[in-house]
Amino acid sequence: MTRARPAAASLAGAALLGLAGCGGGGEDAVEARLRLVVPDNNIRVEGVECAGARPFDYLRPGASFTLEAPDGTVLADGELPAGRAENADPSIDWNVERIPTVCVMELELDLPERRSYRLRLPEGRPLAFDRSDLAGDEPLMLLVQ
Amino acid sequence: MSERLRRPRRACVLLVALALGLLAPGCAGGDSSGEESHGGAADLPGPVPAEVAFRAPPDDATPAPDFSANLVDGTPVTASELWDDRPVVLMFTASWCERCADVHRRVAEVVGEREGVALLGIVPADDAQGAREYAEELGLGYPIAVGDERVWLSFAVREPPTVVLVAPEGKVLRGWPGGVETPVLAERLDELFQKR
Repeated sequence: MTRARPAAASLAGAALLGLAGCGGGGEDAVEARLRLVVPDNNIRVEGVECAGARPFDYLRPGASFTLEAPDGTVLADGELPAGRAENADPSIDWNVERIPTVCVMELELDLPERRSYRLRLPEGRPLAFDRSDLAGDEPLMLLVQ
Repeated sequence: MSERLRRPRRACVLLVALALGLLAPGCAGGDSSGEESHGGAADLPGPVPAEVAFRAPPDDATPAPDFSANLVDGTPVTASELWDDRPVVLMFTASWCERCADVHRRVAEVVGEREGVALLGIVPADDAQGAREYAEELGLGYPIAVGDERVWLSFAVREPPTVVLVAPEGKVLRGWPGGVETPVLAERLDELFQKR
């Protein structure tokens, strides 16, 4: 799992540390736990570390992502962690060690309160979700398209 | 929980640049250490020893798609020249793949115990910089090439680590997506040696 940093910190780095608490903050943070599901259907042993297989090979550990507000303002950014292979179809008992899997990457982010968000990956369409989607106990699943 | 931030990498680059800057005046234009980079030309295999002979591949084995690529030090390499007279293990890997290094190490051990067998690591084209660091960290003594997308596609590699065994004369014997168990690779390689 990876935790992203707020965008401002990434831009200004240590220079901003001395200003912490000075700048009209006070925005409530929203904890977002996301499961980024890469539907690559690659044959793997369940549970092994993975990256997106072709054609999703741009989703790999270290690949950049940003979390944006609907108006395009970058709220946070970070790098993807390694994923874990999960059964692509849990309704099937494959009876073999290597099975069709998806690669699931877990993200944990602290976001400023907004009505909705967009997760932008290095390629493909941004993945949109609402603040209300984060209310449940389980991480929010986002299917890469 | 691992945190992946870009800043440390930048800091690392800056430190390296600073170190180079500090060292440069003392180098006086000479070749500082004379050390070869890992994964480059110095790690290419020599000729197959005269006492080693390999079996001909099965007639029905699939021809391996030939390719050319540059090693991490820029040295060009042509795959068919490697597998012309010896088995070659292709190790598709990447610097960002956390379990690849372990697979690569174990494959190198198996290959190292068998005279005349070659091992060529192949990293994606967009991982060239990472590949140099990967090669230095591993220090396996085997070449590592930067292979463009065509190389990966021609061997149907969708994700590293993937290991491919090519028999002498360039026939694909087996591919192992996700890596291969050491005894399995050892057995397949041993089958290729001519008994005397």
